Amino acid sequence: MSLPFKPASTPWLLAHEMRLAWRGVSGEKKATGVGTIITFAILGAVVLAGGVFLALATRGHEVPITPFTVIIVDLVLAVILTLMLANTLAAAANALYERGDLDLLFSSPLSPRKVLFVRAMGLAVGAGFWFVLPAVLVLTPSLFMGHPHWAGVFGVLVAAALGASGIGLLLAMALFALIGPRRTRTVAQVLAALIGAAFFLASQYRTLMGEDASESLFARIALDVRDGRIQPPPFADLPLRAAVGEPIPLLILMAIGLGLFLFAARVLGKRFADAAAATQGAETRKAAKGPVGAFAAGAFQATLRKELRLVSRDAALLSQVLLRVLYMVPIAFVMVRGAESLPAWALAGPAAAVTFLAGQVTGSLIWITVSAEDTPDLLAISPPPMRVLNRAKLAAALIPVAGLLIVPIAALTWYAPLAGLWTALGAALCAWTAGLIGVWHQKPGKRADFKQRRGGSFLVGFAELVIASLIGGATAMAVAGLLVWAVIPLIVAGALMMALRRTDEQIAAALRAASAASN
Amino acid sequence: MGAALTEALVVRGLNKTFAKPAVSDLDLTVRAGELYALLGPNGAGKTTTLRMVAGLTQPDAGEIAIFGVDARKDPAGAKALLAWAPDEAMIYDKLTPLEYLEFVAGLWNINPRTAKAKAEELLATLGLASEARRRCEGFSRGMKQKVALAGALIHDPKLLILDEPLTGLDAAAARLVKDMLQARVDAGGTVILTTHILDVAERMADRIGIIAGGRLLAEGTLDELRSRAGEASGRTLEDVFLQLTAEAAA
Repeated sequence: MSLPFKPASTPWLLAHEMRLAWRGVSGEKKATGVGTIITFAILGAVVLAGGVFLALATRGHEVPITPFTVIIVDLVLAVILTLMLANTLAAAANALYERGDLDLLFSSPLSPRKVLFVRAMGLAVGAGFWFVLPAVLVLTPSLFMGHPHWAGVFGVLVAAALGASGIGLLLAMALFALIGPRRTRTVAQVLAALIGAAFFLASQYRTLMGEDASESLFARIALDVRDGRIQPPPFADLPLRAAVGEPIPLLILMAIGLGLFLFAARVLGKRFADAAAATQGAETRKAAKGPVGAFAAGAFQATLRKELRLVSRDAALLSQVLLRVLYMVPIAFVMVRGAESLPAWALAGPAAAVTFLAGQVTGSLIWITVSAEDTPDLLAISPPPMRVLNRAKLAAALIPVAGLLIVPIAALTWYAPLAGLWTALGAALCAWTAGLIGVWHQKPGKRADFKQRRGGSFLVGFAELVIASLIGGATAMAVAGLLVWAVIPLIVAGALMMALRRTDEQIAAALRAASAASN
Repeated sequence: MGAALTEALVVRGLNKTFAKPAVSDLDLTVRAGELYALLGPNGAGKTTTLRMVAGLTQPDAGEIAIFGVDARKDPAGAKALLAWAPDEAMIYDKLTPLEYLEFVAGLWNINPRTAKAKAEELLATLGLASEARRRCEGFSRGMKQKVALAGALIHDPKLLILDEPLTGLDAAAARLVKDMLQARVDAGGTVILTTHILDVAERMADRIGIIAGGRLLAEGTLDELRSRAGEASGRTLEDVFLQLTAEAAA
């Protein structure tokens, strides 16, 4: 299908980028694209229904501009901005490294500035899309039912997306200048994970600092503002005023966002082209020195060692795992700090969360080790049975999770042995089941498609979540002392696992079918 | 099937159909200790045939025996005897050549000490000793091909199958690989390769098979192929190849 714009124009190039981005989301096959559209349509209808309720509920009411509402909108915007920035920073760094069509574009008569401008626009659209789309669905009924000025929310979100893209690009280029092309991608991915988790960590500041607090930092600020203990800083009301359609604040925010974006896109245009060129081969590391270690003995050991090496060298995966670990930190703090003083039931929630996250991290790792195998043909022509290789890959997914959990669980066990034991067992079981599901329902993919790994099978992904939740629930019950009740979710989880189970022959048949379908 | 051990590979009645037939009733015999070149135009079924031999693609029908081992009944036994190196190198960008060879040797259950010595020897022979501990991600296509070739040789396979082994190699590397293959055959090893470079087949192969439309058109030494095509003794393999494939297409 040809693009409806003048060839080589900025809109034409942007449409090309968006087409590629959409195909990245919807998958390679037409059928998957239709499935994605249906899923989006159902979700959209649900959100739209919520929007109708909102419109009915707010009919005849206006949002008051008070310190309390001002600070709420500021905090929400801060969260949105951090999430957008995490997205754009990682994407900006990737834009430098992923050759894709970059060589083609730079070897064409298009100016590097135009290429960067469009890439930057792509970042902004990518960052803003997931916020603007639900906002459109939620607010459209209100726009038609007495609140047309609430369209200002879209302007605020667009300004935020533009600003986040500009900052993301500037940060990526600053990293490039400071630490060089070889380290930029890894550091940017890690930084993006940190920024992404920043609002959560900040909200848990008081917990992390050891204060006995029942509400998050954000809730505390909002309450203090409401009660007049603190006042919002000057200009803090701009986002709220812009969101409710006041033209001057909206123009100011748009100007700031657009200014940041244009500054980054225009000023860095030439440097981006140079930087992108400099990344070619930049990931080559210096040869290791020192004596060569002994080779692994046998297929299991060799595969385990190879997978652990590949996992430890995968920057995108590390940032994803780091993101989840960062969410675990406050929970682990709560558990360890409260283990001595809190009653057992108070530890149940955090125990369930740790268990659930252990499953989630294992799910990510097993996808990398099993489904994202770089050379499936090499394994297919080798003599060892598939089960030996799969066991090694499962072990490679479980070892890092065990490494991550061993310290907090050991600390918890020190203070509350029984809670520590149940949490350890729950986390191990949850990780193991997630690993098994990854082995049973493996589907060949590429490491670069890590973020789309859940697209393989909705039902399997859903079942994995349900099983992790059930085991998390059982762990919580065990920690709370409700041992008998904990058996019930475990039985359900076991039944689901039995339904998902595949033999080696069934796995091989599914892989052959997937291979035949891709031929 | 009763294949004698002098026969490295025996293929009988091999069939594979995707959207259309890729391989049809193919019979092929490769003797132990020979270099066999499988030639054919694009889409002739060469790679599909070799993938079936390597156990990567399931045949619809037919029999495959590797040194007398039935590859369909005892795939692990057959795989232990062979190595397969496709035109796209099967390597890991994030591993170093030494780490890659350690992994491949582990898959074939080679003694770790033997494997380590063999890996260092192979990398030195292929001119990769100085790159042995550098990750493959920055390697050129030719270097990656050489690493993959080292992987195919580390377990000393009795039957080496190479799909377009010279793709991406510079002249010196291509010469090195050709010499290694010749030395392997001289030492009693068996090599099957596909190539579009007919000069290579003409100079190196003991016997040549020409395949088109999934069928074996002709098989034999160069002289036998010439007489099969009714060509004069001075004609090149290219002439014979073009005549036979044109006749098949007609």
